[in-house]
Amino acid sequence: MIVVLRTFISAGLAGLLGLDAVQAGQFLFSRPAFVGTVLGWLNGCPLEGARLGILLELLYIDFIPVGGVVPPNGTAAAAVGVLAHSAGGLAPSLSFFIGIAAGVAYAPLESQVRASRSRLNALIEAQVSSGDFRLRRWLARALLIENAVMGAYVLTLAGLAALLGRLPGLAWLYPGTDFAFSLMPWLGLSGLYFRFRTQIYKKG
Amino acid sequence: MLFSMFLRSFFIQAGWNYERFQNLGFAFSLQPALEKIYPDKEKYKAALLRHLQIFNTQPYMAAFVLGNIIRMEERAAAGGEADIKTLPGVKQALASSFASIGDRIFWGRLKPMTVQICLLVWAACGFYGWLFTGMNDELPLGLLLAGPLSGIAVYSVFSVYIRWKGLKDGYACGGANNCALDAANWPRLIRLLTAAGFAMSLAIVALAFALLAGFNCVACTKGDLLLKLGLPVAVLALHRVLRALGRSVFFTAGLLLALSILLFSALKLGPFKLYL
Repeated sequence: MIVVLRTFISAGLAGLLGLDAVQAGQFLFSRPAFVGTVLGWLNGCPLEGARLGILLELLYIDFIPVGGVVPPNGTAAAAVGVLAHSAGGLAPSLSFFIGIAAGVAYAPLESQVRASRSRLNALIEAQVSSGDFRLRRWLARALLIENAVMGAYVLTLAGLAALLGRLPGLAWLYPGTDFAFSLMPWLGLSGLYFRFRTQIYKKG
Repeated sequence: MLFSMFLRSFFIQAGWNYERFQNLGFAFSLQPALEKIYPDKEKYKAALLRHLQIFNTQPYMAAFVLGNIIRMEERAAAGGEADIKTLPGVKQALASSFASIGDRIFWGRLKPMTVQICLLVWAACGFYGWLFTGMNDELPLGLLLAGPLSGIAVYSVFSVYIRWKGLKDGYACGGANNCALDAANWPRLIRLLTAAGFAMSLAIVALAFALLAGFNCVACTKGDLLLKLGLPVAVLALHRVLRALGRSVFFTAGLLLALSILLFSALKLGPFKLYL
């Protein structure tokens, strides 16, 4: 029961922290390193949460949200990764790769949410033209929907991970996922190194 | 007025959409100032509708455009018809220029640097659990949070400062289409951040290899140690090659996962650990 409650709270918190990525603030509270540590603490596995978070962060810095590009979502990745481990009972290594997949799969959903907001422009213009200048409620609506979508997504995938955890013979995968997981810091460090190395050698 | 705009500028991307991007957040940020500038309801409405049109730039640097535009609106309200005509062009030109600068500074450099700060803070506190599984089992939450929060603090102080400076500088020189572009020596700042980021990258990679060697050198044979150091080098090389071929880091991660499952789960090779 407590696990279920914690999972619900974690999904809500992930939705709230996820708003920081685009909608409000941009203080980087939505980054996997922070989300992973906080949700890990909330779910009784702070060390695994911090580790999953920072490794996801290292891989996710490869993506830059320039212009209208919707990169894979780091908040969703960290939240699903931590919950797959804490609520689903999966090994951290498998949870990590499930987290990566969850972050990548969230990008098209996020695109849809953004696209759906385009139709609001005509409504807002009509409202302003009629002399009602309250823009705040449209922003609140956008924030609320974004929060709800992220929360529902994280909760759904955490549920699926919990079901996956009940599959017999899953431990067969772990030697492979554990080994791949042990290489991830090095893949992340490679991304970090080459990000700046490329800039050093770039002209202009 | 500027402070109210400053607070609202934290929501510049709220309502982001594919049709007009940050238009809603931009209009929302300008609202307190427009309300003050245009006491006449019809003129206020026209101004608000003007700023509900397409707008897109880097979110932190949007402050420079906001400051500039509000000064232009003030002049327009005082009878400067020319300002109304040039306003869309100036807005667009500044948005593009500041987007380019902001993307390089914040997304390209400062954001990855928050990860580096996190790793260095953890390393300074003796926590290497991010590199080696199963180590540092008993660690206070404060220490775990200190890593990401240090990066966030450095980043946020700078970004909040830029937001405020942008509003002030943009307001001070409003009207010119190169307004505030010289507010800082941007190329120098970009070069400095690049150099600092590269130095920290080198330090972290060197530290990681030193730790790997340190944890293994006591009980490993020379051959084992070389293999354990060679494997991360191979990962770095694989990532470099696949990156050059246009593959994302997730492709490399997926490839490593598939190979590992094949070797250690399907073919049941003996377990291999990078560290003792």
